[in-house]
Amino acid sequence: MNASAWHMLLEGAWTTLWISAVSIAIGVMAGLVIALIRLARIPIVDQLLVLYISVARATPLVTLALFIFLSAPDLGLDLNRSVAGILALSLNTTAFNAEIWRSAFRNFSREQSEAAMATGMTPWITFRRIMLPQMVITSLPGLVNEMSFLIKGSPAIAVIGIVDLTRVTNRISAVTYEPLPPILVAGALYMAIIGCLVWLQRLAERRANRLAT
Amino acid sequence: MSEANTSEMAAVSIRHLSKSFDDVEVLRDVELEVKTGEVVTIIGSSGSGKSTLLRCINWLEKPDRGSIHIAGQRIGIHEDGRPMPVRELAKVRAKTGMVFQGFNLWPHLNVLHNVTEAPIHVQGASKREAEERAMALLEKVGMVDKRDSYPNTLSGGQKQRVAIARALAMQPEVMLFDEPTSALDPELVGEVLAVIKDLSAEGYTMVMVTHEMAFARAVSDQVVFLEKGLIIERADPETFFTTPKTDRVRKFLENHDTPSPA
Ligand SMILES: Nc1ncnc2c1ncn2[C@@H]1O[C@H](COP(=O)(O)OP(=O)(O)OP(=O)(O)O)[C@@H](O)[C@H]1O
Ligand SMILES: [Mg+2]
Repeated sequence: MNASAWHMLLEGAWTTLWISAVSIAIGVMAGLVIALIRLARIPIVDQLLVLYISVARATPLVTLALFIFLSAPDLGLDLNRSVAGILALSLNTTAFNAEIWRSAFRNFSREQSEAAMATGMTPWITFRRIMLPQMVITSLPGLVNEMSFLIKGSPAIAVIGIVDLTRVTNRISAVTYEPLPPILVAGALYMAIIGCLVWLQRLAERRANRLAT
Repeated sequence: MSEANTSEMAAVSIRHLSKSFDDVEVLRDVELEVKTGEVVTIIGSSGSGKSTLLRCINWLEKPDRGSIHIAGQRIGIHEDGRPMPVRELAKVRAKTGMVFQGFNLWPHLNVLHNVTEAPIHVQGASKREAEERAMALLEKVGMVDKRDSYPNTLSGGQKQRVAIARALAMQPEVMLFDEPTSALDPELVGEVLAVIKDLSAEGYTMVMVTHEMAFARAVSDQVVFLEKGLIIERADPETFFTTPKTDRVRKFLENHDTPSPA
């Protein structure tokens, strides 16, 4: 592999990294918001969210990305490829994260929130100061799992023309006729990214020990 | 003094309180007045409604009928029947402090922060002010050494003493204790009772559910006996423990090692 191949690989890695990171950030927060809204059990809204979650979880990423990219012009939206890719990944991961957050809500100790309310905390302060910090710790294994699924599934966005870390290996081997080296390097880069996530998970596990009473 | 006036002076004033779970009436027309500085002990057999009564006082449980005033202020509903918005309810609740049977400390916060959390985020106290107040309270309950420890490293007695400091940190008008020593190993009961006894000596207003009869006799100003949601007997501790009026209470005390005179 020559310098330009390396350059292309790193660019592909960067594309995968930032598109995934943005999608993860959106997905984690939107999932939390959906879980919060679902707590209120607002009649029609709740059914719509359930519908979204089941559809998004059942739809392959490739299909979702294509659908968004191709239908956007009809809806009068001018999406560039990256935005469409982020939208597809976010819509997918949000659905899974919403379920992770929801089970964290369901499993949260009622005694602890009662103790918070008893000191005069409003439900909102109770959520922010008492529930959320613990829910982050207990949900992190599930969230990180979902993050690495997203990264591993992200090559699907190549279908709408985004040159990500996987797609770029194709381009390089089309020139060099040596497919193996770029794929091996790409694999190593994926492992490095996921490795960082696993490290984050370990950190959370150490904190989680405290919560086990 | 008129009756309306005395109830305004009371730390807690409960009128015609009724509460059902499903079809079972758990509290029936309960009337209770706790004066400032007074210690009231609620006694009764399991399922008689003691916890429910205590949890109605700070509106963790919503009564079906009746009114509750904390230091003259109605909790839960406005006088005109409008339900109280959550922020306002939280403000009135902050006038009460509650200590639970199961401690219910927040495990993600260390001892000091368990105590400073509400003053900072509810009262808007500065970090320094909250920590000073917390340290004084941890001193009072003998937990200064453990200020940096996390709850999961503490014994039950230590947890409960921190929980008491946490409730005191909001400077409540009344402290509510729901069987504060029932979950403790016998050898740890004493340290928690000693703290509560100190508080009573300092003039704190307290409503307490307990099965520790000797302790109830020693610290109470008023003992209330609850039976199937009804207050069937109330008296000063001497009268209550030496000459109970009803057979029911006499039987109950026989089964609970009536304490010898203090
Ligand atoms: N959330 C609830 N839903 C349904 N029933 C309840 C609920 N809480 C309490 N009860 C019932 O109400 C009755 C009174 O309960 P409460 O907890 O007030 O009794 P208690 O006097 O505190 O008993 P113990 O000494 O066992 O703590 C019991 O029959 C109990 O089963
Ligand atoms: Mg009880």
